[in-house]
Amino acid sequence: MIDNDVIFEPLEFRNLTVKNRLFRSSLSGRFDNYDGSGTEIRINWDVKFAKGGIGAIISSNTPVHPRGLIVPNYSHIDRDELIPFYRELVSRVHEHDCRYIIQIAFSGRQRDVPGIQYAKGLSSTDKREPLHGFECERMTQAQIDEIVDAFAQGARRAREAGADGVEVHGCNGYLITQFLSSAINDRDDEYGGSLENRARFALEVVRAIRREVGDDYHVQFKISPREHMRDIYPWMGDGNTLEESVQVCKWLEEAGVDGFHVSTGGAFPHPRNPPGKMPLADLARTYDSMVSSGRHAFRNLVAFRVPPLKWTMQKWWERPLHGKYEGQTLPDAAAVKRAVDVPVLCAGGFQTASVIRSAIESGDVDGVTMARTVLANPDLPKLFAEGLDRAPRPCTYCNKCLVNFVENPLGCYDESRFESREQMIEEIMTVYDLPAYKEQGAPARTATR
Amino acid sequence: MTLSNAHVQSVAAATPGEHPPLHPARSSAIFEPLRFRNLEVKNRIFRSSVAGRFDNYDGSGTEVRINWDLKFARGGVGTIISSNAPIDARGHIIPGYAYIDSDETIPFWRELGRRIHELDCKYVVQLVFAGRERMMTGVQRWPAWSSSNRAEPINGFPATKMTVPEIQSVVRSFAGAARRAREAGLDGVELAGANGMLFTQFLSSAINDRDDDYGGSLENRARFSLEVVRAIRAEVGDDFFLGFKISPREHMRELLPWLRPGNSLEESLQVCRWLEKAGVDMLHISTGGGFPHPRNPAGRFPAREMVKTYDALISDGRHVLRNFLIFSTWPFSAGFGWWWQRPTRAFGGYEGINLADSRAVKQAVSIPVLCTGGFQTASVIAEAISSGGCDGVTIARPLVANPDLVRHFEAGRDTAPRPCTYCNKCLFNFVENPLGCYEEARFDSREEMLEQIFSVYGEPSFLAHDTPVEVA
Repeated sequence: MIDNDVIFEPLEFRNLTVKNRLFRSSLSGRFDNYDGSGTEIRINWDVKFAKGGIGAIISSNTPVHPRGLIVPNYSHIDRDELIPFYRELVSRVHEHDCRYIIQIAFSGRQRDVPGIQYAKGLSSTDKREPLHGFECERMTQAQIDEIVDAFAQGARRAREAGADGVEVHGCNGYLITQFLSSAINDRDDEYGGSLENRARFALEVVRAIRREVGDDYHVQFKISPREHMRDIYPWMGDGNTLEESVQVCKWLEEAGVDGFHVSTGGAFPHPRNPPGKMPLADLARTYDSMVSSGRHAFRNLVAFRVPPLKWTMQKWWERPLHGKYEGQTLPDAAAVKRAVDVPVLCAGGFQTASVIRSAIESGDVDGVTMARTVLANPDLPKLFAEGLDRAPRPCTYCNKCLVNFVENPLGCYDESRFESREQMIEEIMTVYDLPAYKEQGAPARTATR
Repeated sequence: MTLSNAHVQSVAAATPGEHPPLHPARSSAIFEPLRFRNLEVKNRIFRSSVAGRFDNYDGSGTEVRINWDLKFARGGVGTIISSNAPIDARGHIIPGYAYIDSDETIPFWRELGRRIHELDCKYVVQLVFAGRERMMTGVQRWPAWSSSNRAEPINGFPATKMTVPEIQSVVRSFAGAARRAREAGLDGVELAGANGMLFTQFLSSAINDRDDDYGGSLENRARFSLEVVRAIRAEVGDDFFLGFKISPREHMRELLPWLRPGNSLEESLQVCRWLEKAGVDMLHISTGGGFPHPRNPAGRFPAREMVKTYDALISDGRHVLRNFLIFSTWPFSAGFGWWWQRPTRAFGGYEGINLADSRAVKQAVSIPVLCTGGFQTASVIAEAISSGGCDGVTIARPLVANPDLVRHFEAGRDTAPRPCTYCNKCLFNFVENPLGCYEEARFDSREEMLEQIFSVYGEPSFLAHDTPVEVA
């Protein structure tokens, strides 16, 4: 281990101290019940990363309202009766000296699978989401007020459950982006038009949370400072500029935000986030579930399956990054950091200790968040602590995990990282290795390696 | 018990008028106990194999499945036949159903059985090996074992012809699964021999194209089924309930007109006699050599509903994209719907569509015979039993619609106030969505329907996490 390694220095937010600079970013599979109640499987999932030595876990997106789900089978935080689940989850993560931050979210028009409850999403606009073609309706003032309050109540539930903080999901094209974005927001009332107006919804959410949970509770905000909409849709507006987003961050800090988490892209997925390849073969196998969901999903399915269309799609998607994935969001994070006084975290393909260390030492960021890379190697922080610069079998940024989660249990689906397909499947299924119904001393269902 | 009593009273008080009470004699046959050689059940109503994708992807069971089955036990059925439980991960029909493939699954089944028994209901596990008749391959992508190399004709799932050692390993797996059911304290097993699953793939003259000991003559085609029955008897002994579900007629040409028709009723009667001799305690009569089939579950073809969830299968079979386009494109969808409903139109309805076959089997054997097929009317069921058509009925969709159907019968009603409409929306929703009744017309509002569907998740758990799950 390197002496005085900045990666393992505690990070102090106003209301929260984390033991190191490594955060697990928002990430999970469809492990919960369809009605939004949580399961032991999600607890298993999160505990895996806590055991690996990560300083804090940011939960997967947690809908604050049943209408705000991105895909069914993610646990919600939309009613008080779910608090005991989070209490249990948090206490199990705390056992490993790891903090737990709940990402409170509302999908809006951008969803993966809408589910059976609500046909239409709520958004700043009534224009369909352009990738899959999900229908939406423009929110009324009453609906805006309802969702602002839902965010506040979600934060209150997180606090009551003993979670160490909340992260407001303000990036990647979900509802808050739909208000912030100059590419999406087409309102002519006080929630649209000028930057001040577009930021109103986000600021109302943060102020409502502060009113509900008080000043002494950790609230961080995840933002995509640049939307790069033209990376996907060359005919659209490109979205907010970095300067506009830096201004939004200043306002958010004033409104009471304790930290920023910098991502990129005004949509999800996006060629820059999660940065990596487009896994056509896996995509064609799982995207079919969505065909009946959006107006363009069938078109997309065909485009993902038929050569040479699929190769063109792939080239177009992989074009912006030219195969460089790790730390590509750092310049945006550094720009935010220069503008605010609170700590800044950055997402984007991190898995090399020296890269992370220099990002922190140069003052660009205060910590990094990782999703796919710790999914491939949940013990990555421990490997860093042992002095390794990278895991022996690093994440290949193949993005197969990303597209498999719709139909299949989330895990690393890059067969080349395993001895065999059987070994890969066995690893994926370990998330179901549950204590329930097991007789004392009975062997685990999935053989341990 | 107080819960079910309160429930009876509420049912008794509900919606008078619509269905005049039956004379008790007209439904009395339903409430006579039924005695099998190794099992006695309190009434003649069995919940047939039905569940959603409520379990874990690796085949481990969940509280949600327990909640699901408890609904029907509370509603008063005498026996629950579990949804298809794969005896080997390779034999699953679709991921998300609890397996009985290893001893590690026993504690789950024991807990499930214990909770069902508390409500004075019996529990029989249906053992399945899908073979080529699957819905989703799953991430393991195991090739489907079958009697034949030919792909399943509807979705186009490829198949590989099993070698004799492979056949023997599946026979052993069935015996092991039956032993687990017994060790878990359950009341018996039923073999999923109907509806195109692996047993059908061997039995069927339309599917089995082998030229070894397991194909050709009826005797050879029946060999696999009889070997499984004998292996189970050798494993669990003579005093454990063993049923066999069979489609006496396959009606393959009603699926696709260019297929061979499949076994005749006479052939199947012979198979039933052999099964009885080999130690089967009960025969459960279904129909159709594939699943789904126009006769099973007998009902409408909900093209719109189907397109919404059938898309999940597109990447799996060879014909699924073609089917998807047919189901989603008018007039093909209308044409297919017309074709699908031809047999039931000819029968003139849905309820009791298999009674003639059941009656024929009953006359050929001396063990009790159960019949499935749209039953939900007390007078029809009682008449079927007292006229010798069957000894009991098994019900799936009508109980999904009205889990308390038996309570309505007890209260003297001929059927539930809002009976199952045979819309078959439940059948197709289960692929992507939680199973429940999806017929909005049966509810006051969509919200009420969703509440009914989500009730399977029960109260959120984790209220008292320091209380461990009780494993008997």
